[in-house]
Amino acid sequence: MANNSVLVIGGGIAGIQACLELADKGFTVYLIEKSPSIGGRMAQLEKIFPVTDCSRDCVGTCWLCVLMPRMIECYRHPNVELLTCAEVKEVGGKLGDFTVNVVKYPRYVKEDRCVNCGVCVEKCPVSVPNEFEMGLKDRKAIYIPFPQAIPDIVTIDAENCLHFKNGGCSICEEVCEAEAIDYEQNAEQLTLNVGAIIVATGFDLFDPSQIPAYGYGKFKNVTTAMELERVLSPFGPTEGRLLRPSDGKEPNSVAFILCVGSRDKRFYSYCSSICCKYSLKMAVSVKQRNPKTEVYLFYTDLRAFGKGFQEFANQAKKIYGVKYIRSNPGELLEDPVTKDLITWYEDTMSGSIQNLTANLAVLCNACIPREGTTELAKVLGIGLDNFGFIKQLDEITYPVDTTVPGIFAAGYALGPRTGDIPDSITQASAAAERVFEVLHVKKEA
Amino acid sequence: MKYALFLGCLISAREPSYELYARKVLPHFDIELVDIPETTCCAPFSIQSLDYIGWLAIAARNLAIAEEIGLPVLAFCNDCYESLLMTSIILRDDPELKTKVNDVLSQVGKEYKGKTEVKHLLEVLHQDVGAKKIKDTIKRPLTELKVATQTGCHAVRPKMIHPTLAVSPKTLDELVKATGAETVDYDKKEVCCGGPLRGINDEISRNLARQKLKGMKKAGANCIVTVCPFCFIQLDLGQLEIKRFFGEEYNLPVFHFVELLGLATGLEIKDWKMRDHRIPLNPLYEKLRGG
Amino acid sequence: MSAVDPNFMHEVANTPRGEGVLTCIQCGRCTSSCPVTRFLDEHNPRRLMEMIILGFRSDVLHKLPWYCLSCFTCLDRCPQRGDVGEVVFAIRSLAAREGDIPHGVVEQAKNLLNTGRLIPTSEFMHRQRKALGLPETSTSTKDAETIMKMVGFDKMISKARTRRSELTE
Repeated sequence: MANNSVLVIGGGIAGIQACLELADKGFTVYLIEKSPSIGGRMAQLEKIFPVTDCSRDCVGTCWLCVLMPRMIECYRHPNVELLTCAEVKEVGGKLGDFTVNVVKYPRYVKEDRCVNCGVCVEKCPVSVPNEFEMGLKDRKAIYIPFPQAIPDIVTIDAENCLHFKNGGCSICEEVCEAEAIDYEQNAEQLTLNVGAIIVATGFDLFDPSQIPAYGYGKFKNVTTAMELERVLSPFGPTEGRLLRPSDGKEPNSVAFILCVGSRDKRFYSYCSSICCKYSLKMAVSVKQRNPKTEVYLFYTDLRAFGKGFQEFANQAKKIYGVKYIRSNPGELLEDPVTKDLITWYEDTMSGSIQNLTANLAVLCNACIPREGTTELAKVLGIGLDNFGFIKQLDEITYPVDTTVPGIFAAGYALGPRTGDIPDSITQASAAAERVFEVLHVKKEA
Repeated sequence: MKYALFLGCLISAREPSYELYARKVLPHFDIELVDIPETTCCAPFSIQSLDYIGWLAIAARNLAIAEEIGLPVLAFCNDCYESLLMTSIILRDDPELKTKVNDVLSQVGKEYKGKTEVKHLLEVLHQDVGAKKIKDTIKRPLTELKVATQTGCHAVRPKMIHPTLAVSPKTLDELVKATGAETVDYDKKEVCCGGPLRGINDEISRNLARQKLKGMKKAGANCIVTVCPFCFIQLDLGQLEIKRFFGEEYNLPVFHFVELLGLATGLEIKDWKMRDHRIPLNPLYEKLRGG
Repeated sequence: MSAVDPNFMHEVANTPRGEGVLTCIQCGRCTSSCPVTRFLDEHNPRRLMEMIILGFRSDVLHKLPWYCLSCFTCLDRCPQRGDVGEVVFAIRSLAAREGDIPHGVVEQAKNLLNTGRLIPTSEFMHRQRKALGLPETSTSTKDAETIMKMVGFDKMISKARTRRSELTE
């Protein structure tokens, strides 16, 4: 009887989708996630495209409707075992019979006792930048990464927690009425026996300070697209108000710059495939907040392919008034008094040399392989492509198989296929189907 | 460390001060200079524009002589550095081309084997000597100076052929700070001085120098420090030209970095009046000498 | 605009340093970075590449290539890593072969041919160097001349219909 368990590595939308499909089919699924909560990149977004079916008055975020129910389902599904703060350390065996050694890092919180009342977080004296908020907002040393995190349990960040640094503080333990704090908690070693593995570890973002000409890190009002997503999100650092970093005022003009690190032989020569789409989406979002805001999109080619995107691009121009400029600015300069960004550029359609002053600049930076992918690939024995993404067995005929039988992949871990959320879900579905095929379909003699 | 010195045309023809100070100061930091005999021009951009093989042959001939001496090449001038460095890289990566060039060189009795390295003065000062060592030998910190540095284009660009970033845009600032002087950040700091168009299109050349000088003045600099003799002329003699054409005066004396090193380490050449500097150095220079 | 030469792009691509013309995606980053463009609209690196690709041979060769500083800011930023900063050398050498070289460059080339140096050291400077204790400059004029004659520089220079750049008039 073929092994009835599957391991899914990565708790983003692709991992969650694959996990639920397999769980519904009756597999036991271990969903393992490195960070304290599942949700992945999608949980960081404000809106997703298309938004046509929803009420225009919605002041929430899309993922509340789309992702959240799936996250909760993972948590409650009888066939799913959710392992957060956990990592795969060793893998042996083969298709149908993999032995996986997992390390579950200590949260220093008893998972069956914490009720997420929030008192410990309130009282904790240590503040550090919150990774989920792209560093724009702080969290405490005992924290929950975002309000809707699953599992909704706090975690202690031992590196920054005073109790672990100098033994001085025990405030959270003192105030916790559920007696959930356990400083003595150790890492747990688990050995899982699964028939197949799906890798869905997603992507990281290119650090634009590698291009000093754009001033990221030097000029306050140069941000990245993901940072803007957090700012626009109603649960983010500014509670959804579009305010610019230098003076906290609403910007009157916003310039999006595409292909930062992508399509660039100095860094990543591929096209990240989602930036043209998401920048359009965000440009419209900015315009919807305040139609008087000037929004400029500096592009090389406007790659708005697939269902509805070109129409959306046209709509953005005609109805919302987003200005498209076919140009790739070489550098951004800062006005020392106003902290506005100034760029000289050539409008390549007309050939005229112009300059533009924008209150806020948003860099659409490349999507790059997740840190740790090389190590994970070694552990699993799977191949990587020359950019460091997971290599497909065959790009055309086996698009979700890796180079090792029984191990599959889905989502941006495979690189910039078409990359957006519906595609990640499609691939996850395909990977789940492949697992079902290899584990349960009887081979004809 | 011993180096085969490639001085280039401009320093020996126009800037004896650079050479005087370099020959006096550098041995003090264990940089021994051996002159390459029978050199020719390095073939900078104007000549490179005329013929590809001609450029490579002229440049490679100079490298071949350095090879005969058996020492790595040290260049002061950015254009010489770039020409020789690019030649050494192109011929290293294309053996067929190297054979073609050697065919030409054989007519003058030379062969380029491809074994010599090419280094820039800033690279050697930064890596062989180091800012810390320079700081330790300072006898008279140049605290009066607020320096606008001009590293120049070809010591740092294109990054493609300077993959190890032997010289970064910050190198000269670091070295200047080691002498006790202050450096300023100014508008258009990393933009070209306009030197390559000198004599070819003087209007653009002047405009570029002018925008840099404006930025330097605005940032509060009281002097300029260069490494490349071309940048030196653009910003020194250039100030006189700008006065004539635009009626603007900047009064920013320009020093070669080796002069600063000399002044700071007590190796000043006392009876040399620095006449090749067109913008008056005083009263700043008097202050530096007096201390 | 003059007649179009559909082969021009390939002619440039086959000239040393001209390969970049085949991979240009016309993004405009070069123009946006060029220090000369801010002073002179006519010098537009992206458009120069476009004109090469489209085949406007005579406009490209006889007017435009000599404004470039070779500061390599464009080359540093080009996402295709092989752009105007290099291609400009290719088109200049093509222009030079047709006798179109600015006066200043001809003067420099003549110096190189006659003295082995771009900027010859004057008699006065030789004397001053001696007085200062600097070593005598050692130049191989003969070798420079030999090499330049071998690659045809002397013919190129004598053929040059030297034109002063319009702006220095």
